[in-house]
Amino acid sequence: MAEIKVYSTPTCPWCVKLKDWLKEKGVEFKDIDVSVDHEAAKEMVEKSGQMGVPQIEIDGKIIVGFDKEKIEEALGK
Amino acid sequence: MVDVYETIIIGAGIAGLTAAMYASRKRMKYEIISTDFGGQFLVSGEVLNYPGIVKTTGVAFSTIMQKQMDFNGVKIKLETVKGVKKKGTGFVVTTNKRVYETKTVIMTTGSKPRKLNVPGEDTFAKKGVTYCAICDGPLFNGMEVAIMGGGDSALEAVDFMKNIASKIYLLVRGDKLIAHEYLQESVKSNDKVEVLFNAETTEILGGKLVSGIKFKQQGEEKKLAVRGVIIEIGRIPNTNSFSKLVKLDEHKHIIIDGQGVTSVPGLFAAGDCASGHEYQYAIAAGQGCMALLKAARYLVGTK
Repeated sequence: MAEIKVYSTPTCPWCVKLKDWLKEKGVEFKDIDVSVDHEAAKEMVEKSGQMGVPQIEIDGKIIVGFDKEKIEEALGK
Repeated sequence: MVDVYETIIIGAGIAGLTAAMYASRKRMKYEIISTDFGGQFLVSGEVLNYPGIVKTTGVAFSTIMQKQMDFNGVKIKLETVKGVKKKGTGFVVTTNKRVYETKTVIMTTGSKPRKLNVPGEDTFAKKGVTYCAICDGPLFNGMEVAIMGGGDSALEAVDFMKNIASKIYLLVRGDKLIAHEYLQESVKSNDKVEVLFNAETTEILGGKLVSGIKFKQQGEEKKLAVRGVIIEIGRIPNTNSFSKLVKLDEHKHIIIDGQGVTSVPGLFAAGDCASGHEYQYAIAAGQGCMALLKAARYLVGTK
């Protein structure tokens, strides 16, 4: 299984939708709340160069936003 | 034989979902088509003025709406509408996947954020520039931010950011705030917030990420060092592809009367895309209901 991290905030609607969608598909992931984990927030911005959520990291590759097609491709499904 | 629908609802915000719920309960032959589920309520932090709900969030509201749609058997076609054309007394709706023929259409396409249209705005989108405070705002933790706008959305953004940002500059183009009084009170009583009137943003600056803005105030060019820029200067109705089909007002809203009736017989509109100019959930729900019921009456007349 690929290692999957989701960078999100609790108030961001697209984050909630992304996580629900992953759960529906039975994809396991680590949820990182960047509104409280400021170190992780910094790391996310450094890795992707983007200050927006959600971001999903699949085996080191980052996808910004809830982009179903790109995420499915990265998951190899 | 071509399948002809009684109505096609375009858009799945509150107006469209309300119309679809009524259509489903009336056992009409209909579809609701939208690129995605949810409208403006998805990007609301708190909802405090919807009848019957004391207090909720946009996310929670969206979850309840989804449950209510499931309960009523409403299934959204996740397709993108490419065009709507008149055909005889009815309409042809073309999406990225197929073509629908229908006797009536209900437009509930909503609106999108208005842009500043200044240099740097597109370059730094998602790199410090955002149109959704509750989405990206928490990333500006401990930073100085600029918020553009003087209406409800801008002041709601200020309110959301007051426990996150270290300093908030509110840049208002005019000389006064036009938001609800309770929001104005919250902004005025906070010493983190500095309101700049007659301030027109002219450029967004930065390297990899945003580092500041340039603005003009009384003819004088000024700079502010900020790492977050939240733009809340109003909304533009999603009606671009319908300008040849139906009459729009000077702000591109579909002109409706009090019953959701447009300039084209059989074409109805409701919610933020229509000419009410008051962007409220309760209004979208009421107008969506009205438009569907009037479409149903129109169908009886044409049957």
